[in-house]
Amino acid sequence: MNLFGLALGLAALLIIGLGLVWVIRGEYTLGYLWWPYVMGLGGALICVSLFFTSDWLSALIGVLGASLVWGSTELKEQAVRAELGWYRFNPNPKPQPPFVEIIKKIKAPHL
Amino acid sequence: MTLNGIGVVAALATFLGVWVGHVAVRKVEYRAPDLRAPMLVALIIGLALEVVALSSTSLYLSGACGILGMTAWFDAAEFRRQFKRVKKGHAPANPNNPRHAPLLTEGKATTIDLLKREPMGQVITYKEQAA
Repeated sequence: MNLFGLALGLAALLIIGLGLVWVIRGEYTLGYLWWPYVMGLGGALICVSLFFTSDWLSALIGVLGASLVWGSTELKEQAVRAELGWYRFNPNPKPQPPFVEIIKKIKAPHL
Repeated sequence: MTLNGIGVVAALATFLGVWVGHVAVRKVEYRAPDLRAPMLVALIIGLALEVVALSSTSLYLSGACGILGMTAWFDAAEFRRQFKRVKKGHAPANPNNPRHAPLLTEGKATTIDLLKREPMGQVITYKEQAA
Protein backbone atom coordinates (compact mmCIF):
# COMPACT_ATOMS: atom_id res chain seq x y z
CA MET A 1 0.00 0.00 0.00
CA ASN A 2 1.39 3.38 -1.06
CA LEU A 3 0.53 6.06 1.52
CA PHE A 4 2.37 8.85 -0.34
CA GLY A 5 -0.68 10.07 -2.33
CA LEU A 6 -3.11 10.01 0.62
CA ALA A 7 -0.67 11.87 2.88
CA LEU A 8 0.18 14.36 0.11
CA GLY A 9 -3.55 14.92 -0.47
CA LEU A 10 -4.04 15.74 3.22
CA ALA A 11 -1.05 18.08 3.16
CA ALA A 12 -2.43 19.76 0.00
CA LEU A 13 -5.80 20.28 1.72
CA LEU A 14 -4.01 21.95 4.65
CA ILE A 15 -1.95 24.20 2.35
CA ILE A 16 -5.07 25.17 0.35
CA GLY A 17 -6.84 25.92 3.67
CA LEU A 18 -3.97 28.19 4.69
CA GLY A 19 -4.39 29.84 1.28
CA LEU A 20 -7.84 31.06 2.30
CA VAL A 21 -6.27 32.76 5.33
CA TRP A 22 -3.40 34.50 3.51
CA VAL A 23 -5.71 35.66 0.69
CA ILE A 24 -7.94 37.46 3.24
CA ARG A 25 -4.98 38.94 5.15
CA GLY A 26 -2.97 39.71 2.03
CA GLU A 27 -5.79 41.58 0.35
CA TYR A 28 -6.52 43.51 3.57
CA THR A 29 -2.90 44.57 4.02
CA LEU A 30 -1.54 44.90 0.48
CA GLY A 31 -4.57 45.02 -1.80
CA TYR A 32 -5.37 42.93 -4.85
CA LEU A 33 -2.99 44.71 -7.23
CA TRP A 34 -0.09 42.57 -6.01
CA TRP A 35 -1.61 39.54 -7.80
CA PRO A 36 1.05 39.28 -10.60
CA TYR A 37 3.84 39.06 -8.00
CA VAL A 38 2.00 36.38 -6.02
CA MET A 39 1.37 34.47 -9.25
CA GLY A 40 5.02 34.85 -10.26
CA LEU A 41 6.19 33.62 -6.84
CA GLY A 42 3.92 30.59 -7.18
CA GLY A 43 5.28 29.82 -10.65
CA ALA A 44 8.85 30.25 -9.40
CA LEU A 45 8.24 27.81 -6.53
CA ILE A 46 6.85 25.23 -8.97
CA CYS A 47 10.03 25.59 -11.08
CA VAL A 48 12.25 25.38 -7.96
CA SER A 49 10.48 22.14 -6.95
CA LEU A 50 12.18 20.46 -9.93
CA PHE A 51 15.57 20.76 -8.23
CA PHE A 52 14.77 19.02 -4.91
CA THR A 53 15.98 15.44 -4.63
CA SER A 54 13.53 14.70 -1.81
CA ASP A 55 10.16 13.69 -3.30
CA TRP A 56 8.28 14.99 -0.28
CA LEU A 57 9.97 18.39 -0.35
CA SER A 58 9.52 18.71 -4.12
CA ALA A 59 5.82 17.77 -3.90
CA LEU A 60 5.11 20.13 -0.98
CA ILE A 61 6.88 23.04 -2.69
CA GLY A 62 4.89 22.27 -5.84
CA VAL A 63 1.59 22.29 -3.94
CA LEU A 64 2.58 25.53 -2.18
CA GLY A 65 3.40 27.09 -5.57
CA ALA A 66 0.05 26.00 -7.02
CA SER A 67 -1.82 27.38 -4.00
CA LEU A 68 -0.05 30.74 -4.51
CA VAL A 69 -1.06 30.78 -8.19
CA TRP A 70 -4.65 29.95 -7.19
CA GLY A 71 -4.61 32.54 -4.40
CA SER A 72 -3.42 35.22 -6.81
CA THR A 73 -6.62 34.66 -8.82
CA GLU A 74 -8.73 35.04 -5.64
CA LEU A 75 -7.35 38.43 -4.58
CA LYS A 76 -9.61 40.48 -6.86
CA GLU A 77 -12.80 38.73 -5.71
CA GLN A 78 -11.65 39.10 -2.10
CA ALA A 79 -11.29 42.86 -2.64
CA VAL A 80 -14.91 42.96 -3.90
CA ARG A 81 -16.09 40.85 -0.93
CA ALA A 82 -14.47 43.35 1.45
CA GLU A 83 -16.08 46.27 -0.39
CA LEU A 84 -19.47 44.55 -0.01
CA GLY A 85 -18.92 44.25 3.75
CA TRP A 86 -18.65 40.46 3.77
CA TYR A 87 -15.11 40.82 5.14
CA ARG A 88 -13.32 43.61 7.01
CA PHE A 89 -12.57 46.52 4.66
CA ASN A 90 -9.25 48.35 5.05
CA PRO A 91 -9.87 52.08 4.44
CA ASN A 92 -6.17 52.98 4.77
CA PRO A 93 -4.00 53.53 1.68
CA LYS A 94 -2.36 50.29 0.62
CA PRO A 95 1.26 49.95 -0.60
CA GLN A 96 1.35 50.13 -4.38
CA PRO A 97 3.23 47.36 -6.16
CA PRO A 98 6.00 48.18 -8.66
CA PHE A 99 4.61 48.87 -12.16
CA VAL A 100 1.16 49.48 -10.68
CA GLU A 101 -0.05 51.48 -13.69
CA ILE A 102 0.71 48.57 -16.04
CA ILE A 103 -0.96 46.10 -13.64
CA LYS A 104 -4.11 48.25 -13.52
CA LYS A 105 -4.43 47.90 -17.31
CA ILE A 106 -4.41 44.08 -17.09
CA LYS A 107 -7.66 42.38 -16.12
CA ALA A 108 -6.98 40.48 -12.91
CA PRO A 109 -7.71 36.79 -13.48
CA HIS A 110 -10.14 34.73 -11.44
CA LEU A 111 -11.27 31.13 -11.70
CA MET B 1 21.53 16.67 -12.79
CA THR B 2 18.19 14.86 -12.80
CA LEU B 3 15.09 16.97 -12.41
CA ASN B 4 12.40 15.79 -9.98
CA GLY B 5 8.97 16.11 -11.63
CA ILE B 6 6.82 15.19 -8.60
CA GLY B 7 6.54 18.85 -7.55
CA VAL B 8 5.18 19.87 -10.96
CA VAL B 9 2.76 16.93 -10.97
CA ALA B 10 1.57 17.83 -7.45
CA ALA B 11 1.21 21.49 -8.48
CA LEU B 12 -0.84 20.60 -11.57
CA ALA B 13 -3.08 18.25 -9.58
CA THR B 14 -3.62 20.91 -6.89
CA PHE B 15 -4.42 23.70 -9.34
CA LEU B 16 -6.65 21.52 -11.54
CA GLY B 17 -8.45 20.04 -8.51
CA VAL B 18 -9.16 23.47 -7.05
CA TRP B 19 -10.12 25.01 -10.40
CA VAL B 20 -12.41 22.23 -11.62
CA GLY B 21 -13.93 21.80 -8.15
CA HIS B 22 -14.52 25.53 -7.72
CA VAL B 23 -16.29 25.86 -11.08
CA ALA B 24 -18.19 22.54 -10.88
CA VAL B 25 -19.56 23.18 -7.38
CA ARG B 26 -20.94 26.58 -8.40
CA LYS B 27 -22.47 25.29 -11.66
CA VAL B 28 -23.94 22.09 -10.22
CA GLU B 29 -25.31 23.78 -7.07
CA TYR B 30 -26.96 26.39 -9.30
CA ARG B 31 -28.82 23.74 -11.35
CA ALA B 32 -29.32 20.69 -9.08
CA PRO B 33 -32.77 20.46 -7.45
CA ASP B 34 -31.33 18.11 -4.79
CA LEU B 35 -27.73 18.27 -3.53
CA ARG B 36 -27.55 14.71 -2.21
CA ALA B 37 -26.83 13.13 -5.63
CA PRO B 38 -23.90 15.44 -6.58
CA MET B 39 -22.49 15.12 -3.04
CA LEU B 40 -22.59 11.34 -3.32
CA VAL B 41 -20.95 11.44 -6.76
CA ALA B 42 -18.14 13.66 -5.42
CA LEU B 43 -17.62 11.29 -2.46
CA ILE B 44 -17.46 8.25 -4.78
CA ILE B 45 -15.03 10.00 -7.17
CA GLY B 46 -12.86 10.97 -4.17
CA LEU B 47 -12.93 7.41 -2.83
CA ALA B 48 -12.03 5.91 -6.22
CA LEU B 49 -9.10 8.33 -6.60
CA GLU B 50 -7.82 7.57 -3.09
CA VAL B 51 -8.02 3.81 -3.77
CA VAL B 52 -5.90 4.36 -6.91
CA ALA B 53 -3.49 6.53 -4.87
CA LEU B 54 -3.10 3.80 -2.24
CA SER B 55 -2.69 0.95 -4.68
CA SER B 56 -0.41 2.60 -7.26
CA THR B 57 3.30 1.91 -7.25
CA SER B 58 3.93 5.08 -9.30
CA LEU B 59 4.83 8.06 -7.14
CA TYR B 60 3.40 10.47 -9.71
CA LEU B 61 0.06 8.68 -10.05
CA SER B 62 -0.27 8.17 -6.31
CA GLY B 63 0.51 11.83 -5.62
CA ALA B 64 -1.83 13.22 -8.28
CA CYS B 65 -4.73 10.90 -7.34
CA GLY B 66 -4.22 11.55 -3.63
CA ILE B 67 -4.54 15.32 -4.15
CA LEU B 68 -7.44 15.08 -6.62
CA GLY B 69 -9.29 12.66 -4.32
CA MET B 70 -8.99 15.02 -1.35
CA THR B 71 -10.23 17.98 -3.40
CA ALA B 72 -13.22 15.86 -4.56
CA TRP B 73 -14.08 15.10 -0.91
CA PHE B 74 -13.68 18.77 -0.07
CA ASP B 75 -16.05 19.64 -2.97
CA ALA B 76 -18.67 17.22 -1.59
CA ALA B 77 -18.83 19.44 1.50
CA GLU B 78 -18.60 22.61 -0.61
CA PHE B 79 -22.05 21.95 -2.17
CA ARG B 80 -23.74 22.75 1.16
CA ARG B 81 -21.49 25.76 1.81
CA GLN B 82 -22.33 27.10 -1.67
CA PHE B 83 -26.06 26.77 -0.90
CA LYS B 84 -25.47 28.73 2.33
CA ARG B 85 -23.83 31.47 0.21
CA VAL B 86 -26.92 31.55 -2.02
CA LYS B 87 -29.15 31.81 1.09
CA LYS B 88 -27.13 34.82 2.28
CA GLY B 89 -27.19 36.45 -1.16
CA HIS B 90 -23.45 35.97 -1.56
CA ALA B 91 -23.89 33.79 -4.66
CA PRO B 92 -26.52 34.07 -7.41
CA ALA B 93 -29.74 32.08 -7.05
CA ASN B 94 -31.43 30.30 -9.94
CA PRO B 95 -35.16 31.17 -10.24
CA ASN B 96 -35.75 27.85 -12.03
CA ASN B 97 -34.23 25.81 -9.19
CA PRO B 98 -36.87 24.64 -6.63
CA ARG B 99 -34.33 25.05 -3.79
CA HIS B 100 -33.60 28.64 -4.76
CA ALA B 101 -37.03 29.87 -5.95
CA PRO B 102 -38.58 30.22 -2.42
CA LEU B 103 -35.52 32.19 -1.26
CA LEU B 104 -36.00 34.62 -4.11
CA THR B 105 -39.73 34.95 -3.37
CA GLU B 106 -38.93 35.74 0.28
CA GLY B 107 -36.34 38.31 -0.84
CA LYS B 108 -33.51 36.46 0.93
CA ALA B 109 -31.47 35.72 -2.19
CA THR B 110 -30.48 37.49 -5.38
CA THR B 111 -29.96 36.49 -9.01
CA ILE B 112 -27.09 38.97 -9.34
CA ASP B 113 -23.50 37.77 -9.14
CA LEU B 114 -22.19 40.55 -6.90
CA LEU B 115 -18.58 39.45 -7.32
CA LYS B 116 -18.60 39.88 -11.08
CA ARG B 117 -17.07 43.35 -11.20
CA GLU B 118 -13.79 45.16 -10.68
CA PRO B 119 -12.90 46.45 -7.18
CA MET B 120 -13.68 50.15 -6.67
CA GLY B 121 -11.54 50.86 -3.61
CA GLN B 122 -14.48 51.85 -1.40
CA VAL B 123 -17.26 50.21 0.56
CA ILE B 124 -20.32 49.73 -1.62
CA THR B 125 -23.65 48.38 -0.39
CA TYR B 126 -25.64 45.70 -2.15
CA LYS B 127 -28.35 48.23 -3.07
CA GLU B 128 -25.80 50.65 -4.53
CA GLN B 129 -24.29 47.89 -6.63
CA ALA B 130 -27.66 46.50 -7.74
CA ALA B 131 -28.65 50.01 -8.85
